[in-house]
Amino acid sequence: MYEFSYVKPASLDEAAQLLANHDDAKPLSGGMTLIPTLKQRLAQPSHLIDIAALTELRGIEVTAGQLIIGAATRHIEVATSMTVRTALPALAALASTIGDPQVRNRGTLGGSVANNDPNADYPAAVLALGATVHTQRRAIAADDFFQGVFTTAIEEGELITRIAFPLPTRAAYAKFPHPASGFAMTGVFVAETGGRVRVAVTGAGPGVFRWREAEAALADRFAAESIEALVVDPSGLNADIHAPAEYRANLMKVLASRALRAILNSSEGAVA
Amino acid sequence: MSFSRLEDRRLVTGAGRYVSDWHLPGQLYAAFLRADRAHARIVSMDVSQAQAMPEVHAVLTAEDTQRAGFRSLPCAAPIPGKGGAELIKPYRPVLAAEVVRFVGECVACVVAQTEEAAQNAVEAIVIEYDDLPVVIGAEAAIAPGAAQLHPNIPGNLAIEFETGDAQAVAAAFAKSAHIVRLDLHNQRVAGNPMEPKGCLVRHDAGTGDYFVHVCTQGTAGMRGQLVATTGIADEHVHVVAEDVGGGFGLRFNAYPEYSAVMLAARITGRPVRWVASRSEVFLSDEHARGVSSRGELALDAQGQFLAFRFDFLNDMGAYIAPTGPVVAVLSIRACLAGVYKVPAAVANVRLALTNSVPMAAYRGAGRPVISYMIERLVDQAAVELAIDPADLRRRNLIPAHAMPWPTANGLAYDSGDFPAVLEHALEVADWTGFEQRRTQSAAHGRLRGIGLASFVEATGGGAGPDEVEARFGGHGEITLFAVSHSHGQSHETAYAEILSAVLGLPRERFRLRNGDPAVRLAGNATGGSRTLHGVGSALRVLADDVIAKGRELAARALEVAAADIVFADGRYHIAGTDRSVTLDSLIEQHSGGAVHPLDTRSSARTGGTFPNGCHVAEVEIDPTTGVVEIVRFSAVDDAGTILNHTIVAGQMHGGITQGAGQVLGEHAICDRQSGQLLTGSFMDYPMPRAIMIHGLTLAEHPVPTPTNVLGAKGVGEAGVTGSLPALMNAILAALRTAGVTHFDMPATPARIWGAIEAARAGDARRFAYDRAQ
Repeated sequence: MYEFSYVKPASLDEAAQLLANHDDAKPLSGGMTLIPTLKQRLAQPSHLIDIAALTELRGIEVTAGQLIIGAATRHIEVATSMTVRTALPALAALASTIGDPQVRNRGTLGGSVANNDPNADYPAAVLALGATVHTQRRAIAADDFFQGVFTTAIEEGELITRIAFPLPTRAAYAKFPHPASGFAMTGVFVAETGGRVRVAVTGAGPGVFRWREAEAALADRFAAESIEALVVDPSGLNADIHAPAEYRANLMKVLASRALRAILNSSEGAVA
Repeated sequence: MSFSRLEDRRLVTGAGRYVSDWHLPGQLYAAFLRADRAHARIVSMDVSQAQAMPEVHAVLTAEDTQRAGFRSLPCAAPIPGKGGAELIKPYRPVLAAEVVRFVGECVACVVAQTEEAAQNAVEAIVIEYDDLPVVIGAEAAIAPGAAQLHPNIPGNLAIEFETGDAQAVAAAFAKSAHIVRLDLHNQRVAGNPMEPKGCLVRHDAGTGDYFVHVCTQGTAGMRGQLVATTGIADEHVHVVAEDVGGGFGLRFNAYPEYSAVMLAARITGRPVRWVASRSEVFLSDEHARGVSSRGELALDAQGQFLAFRFDFLNDMGAYIAPTGPVVAVLSIRACLAGVYKVPAAVANVRLALTNSVPMAAYRGAGRPVISYMIERLVDQAAVELAIDPADLRRRNLIPAHAMPWPTANGLAYDSGDFPAVLEHALEVADWTGFEQRRTQSAAHGRLRGIGLASFVEATGGGAGPDEVEARFGGHGEITLFAVSHSHGQSHETAYAEILSAVLGLPRERFRLRNGDPAVRLAGNATGGSRTLHGVGSALRVLADDVIAKGRELAARALEVAAADIVFADGRYHIAGTDRSVTLDSLIEQHSGGAVHPLDTRSSARTGGTFPNGCHVAEVEIDPTTGVVEIVRFSAVDDAGTILNHTIVAGQMHGGITQGAGQVLGEHAICDRQSGQLLTGSFMDYPMPRAIMIHGLTLAEHPVPTPTNVLGAKGVGEAGVTGSLPALMNAILAALRTAGVTHFDMPATPARIWGAIEAARAGDARRFAYDRAQ
C-alpha cells in the first residue's frame, strides 16, 4: 500500500464534502475490491473516506411496494434479513452466494453496484428488477446506471445512498461461480414485475446487460423451454483463459433455464 | 481439551512460530525489484534515486553480489545422462546481471527502515530493457530456431536421460500383437504453501557468522545450498527454523532471495527481514510438473504386456533448480513399469529451458508423472482391446510371490502384494455395482465414470545417513534433534511415539527441537515420503542405544552384571528376581549436569522402498456445464507398517485432494507471447478445496518392508500418485460415453464442456484450447 489518510466522517454531508475537497480521495465501504487494489499498489488515493457506518446509508425496509436497502448494508445482512427473505427471496439468496463468508461480512450492496465489476452478482438483480439507484443528488434508473466494465452513471463525488427494488411477482437468480474467485462466470437473474419480464446477465459480457431475446421469449411463454429454444450468439461475450465465449453463451441458457425451473417449481420463487 | 497430535495445541492456538513471527532488534526490511518481462537484456539500470530516498539503507544489484564473490545457484544431475552426457548447467545469478529470463526473476534488492519504504524505493529504480524473443513451453523450447536462453545450452536442451533397455523394447515391439500409444500433458502447477517463503538474517560482524531464519524442509540441505551460492564457509552459516507452513517440495531449495538478504545483512550491519507476498509466491516459488509425454505399450494377443516405451519432455523453466533434475528423472527410473511384470521398458527424459519460473519438487515429485502416464496408457489399452480395465491389470500385475521383483531397468521392488491390493480396492469401491449407479446418474442427465489406478511409488533412500540426538538432562523432558524438518508431517508426534513405545515413557515427555543451529547433525530434508523410515529408523536405533546405556546405569544401581538385566516396559529387571529400577528414575537420578549419561546420538541409513496402492475414483459430469463432481473415491494403500493411523489418513486425504486440485483446475498458465503468468492470484488460480471429494474411503493393506527396522514405507505422496490417474481415468470413462476419446488435464468445466461439444459436432478442434503450459 501507499500512504493515505483515513477519515471517518460523521454524516453523509461530511463525506460528500471530504470527497469534494480532495480530488484523489476515495470512498471506502466494505473495501472488498478497494483494499486488495491498494495492497497491490494499483491505486494511490490521498484519502479513504470510510462511509460504511453512516446511518444514512443503512437499513432495510419495505414501503410502497418497494424494498429499500441502504447502500452500506452488508451482503450477510441482505442474505439473512427476514424482510428481504420475505419480500424478495431471490435477492437474499443471491446475496448468500457472493464471495465467501469473509466477503459477505464486509462487502456492501452500494459498493458492489458502484464498482460494477462485470462478474459481480448484484448488478444482475438491480437491472432485472428495474431497481432505482438513489444518490445524495438524484435517482437513477437501473437501465441508465450500468454503462459497461467498471463504469456507471455515478459522477465524481456522488455516493449511492440506497437502492429501491420494485417487488416482483416472481424472480430467481442462477449463478455459475468461477472455480477460483467465486465471482459469477455467468449469472442470470429472471424477474417478472408488474406483468413484465426482465432478464439480466452478469459475467458473460463486458458488463451486466439485459437479454432482450430471452425477455421476449418469456413474455410469450414463461417456461424453461422458451429459453432452450433460443440461439445465443457468442460474439461480443467474454473469452479468457477460463472459458471461451461459446461456453458463456451456453451458460446463459443453462442458468436462465435453471432460474425458470426454480421459479416454476418453487412456491417461493427463490434462487436456483 | 485433548489433542491427538502433540503439535496440535501449539499450532491451532496460534503459538506456532513461522518465519514472519521472528523479529530481531534493529531489523531492516528487504524488497525486490523483479523482472516484469520474461526475456530481455538489461540495457541500463539506475538505482541512484532509490538509494537517495529517506529510510533506504542499501540497494543491491548484481555488481554487489559479484563483488561479494557469489556464484551461480547450484544444480546437478542425480544420474549421468544418455551416453554418459553431463548436465549443461545454466548460470543462475542471485540478482540478474545482463539478462532476465522469467517474469519475477530478482534484479535488485532494496533494504530500508520499513517494508513500505523498501517498496517505494524499488519503484524508484529506473531500468531499461531490450526485449528478447520469449520461449514458453518445452516443445517450443526445443523447436528448431527457438530463441536461446543460455549461451552454453544449445537448443535449450540441458540433458537427456535414458533408463531401461531400448533394444529389448524395440525387439518386444517388433513381435507384439498390439501397440497402444498415448500423448499426455501433465500441466504446470503452482504449489502455494500457506506460508509464503521468507527469511530473516542476522550477521555477526565479530565472528562472521550468519544466522538465517528461514522456512525449510531440512536445515542441512538449505545450508549446503546457501554455502554453494554465497561462497561463505559452512561453519559460518547457521540455519534456524521452527514451524514451517507447508512445503510440498517447494521449501527445499535456497531461493536466491535468501542469499541476497544474507549479503544485505552483512552490508547494512543490521538484521534484514523479507517475507514474500502471495503475488511473489506465485511469481517466484518454484512451479512443478509441466511434462509433455508420449507412452507406448506393446501387448501380445492375450493382453500380456510386452514392453513400455516412454518419452518425457520437461519444461524446467529458465534455470535448473537444485531439485529439478531429481524430480524429472528419479521417480521415472524407480517406477518405470509400475506394478506390471513387463520384461522390457525404457524411458527418455529431456530437460528443456523455457522463459518461466524454474520447476522443482511438488508433492509426488515425478511419481504422479510416471503413474499418470502408465495408468492412462493401460486404460487406453483396455479400451482399444475391449478388455475390462481391472481384468487387464489382473493379467499383468507382479504377483506377491515374485517379490523382491527385479525391474526391467535393473532395480528391485522390495515387497508388496499388488494383486491383493487391487482386489481389496475393487471391493471397497463396489466396482461391480457401478453399472447400477451409472443408470441412476443417467436418469438425472449425468455422465458417470469409474476409473482405477494401480501404482507403485518410490520413497527416497536419502543421500546419506540420518542422525538423531536425544538429550535427557531436561528434568523429565527429553529433547530430540533431527535434520528432517516438519512442514506438516506430524514429526513431533511420530518421533515421540516411536521412542515412547520402546522406552516405555509417555510420549508427552519428548520434545522435538527442529532446526536448532547449535546442534549440527547429518541428515536429509523432509521429502520423498522418507522421514518415517529414515529418521524413524534412526530413532528406533537410538532407542536401543539408550536402553544399552541405561543397562550400565541400572547394573550399577542394582549392583549386578549388566548381562543379567532385561529391559521391558520402561523398567530394568534382574532376570529371575523382582528387583528392578525404572528408566525414568535413572533419567532423574543423573539429571543436573551439563551432559546426561544417557545422551545419545544415533544414525541409520535406510534404502528406498516402494509404497503402492490402488485407487478407484467415480465421477459424475453435468454435460450442460461440464462440471465434474467426484462422488466416490476409494483408496487402498500399502504403506508398510503403520504407526499412527490418524496421521496416515491425514496424509492420504491431503495427497488425494491435491491430485484432485490438479485434475479439476490447477494450472499455472504463462502467456505464449509475453511469458506473463496469467494465473498469478487466487482470483484466477483455483486451489484444491476440502469439499472437492465426496465419499472418500481409505483402507490399509500393509505389507511391511524388510528395508528398514520399522517396516514402514512412507505415505506422503501416495495420495496424489494414485488420485491423478484414477480421477482422470474416471473422467475419461464418463466422457467416452459422450463420444470423447482423448482429454488432457485440467478438467475445468469449460474444457470438459468443449470436449463434449466437439465430440457431438464431430470436430475435435472445435472449442479446442491452446494446450496448456
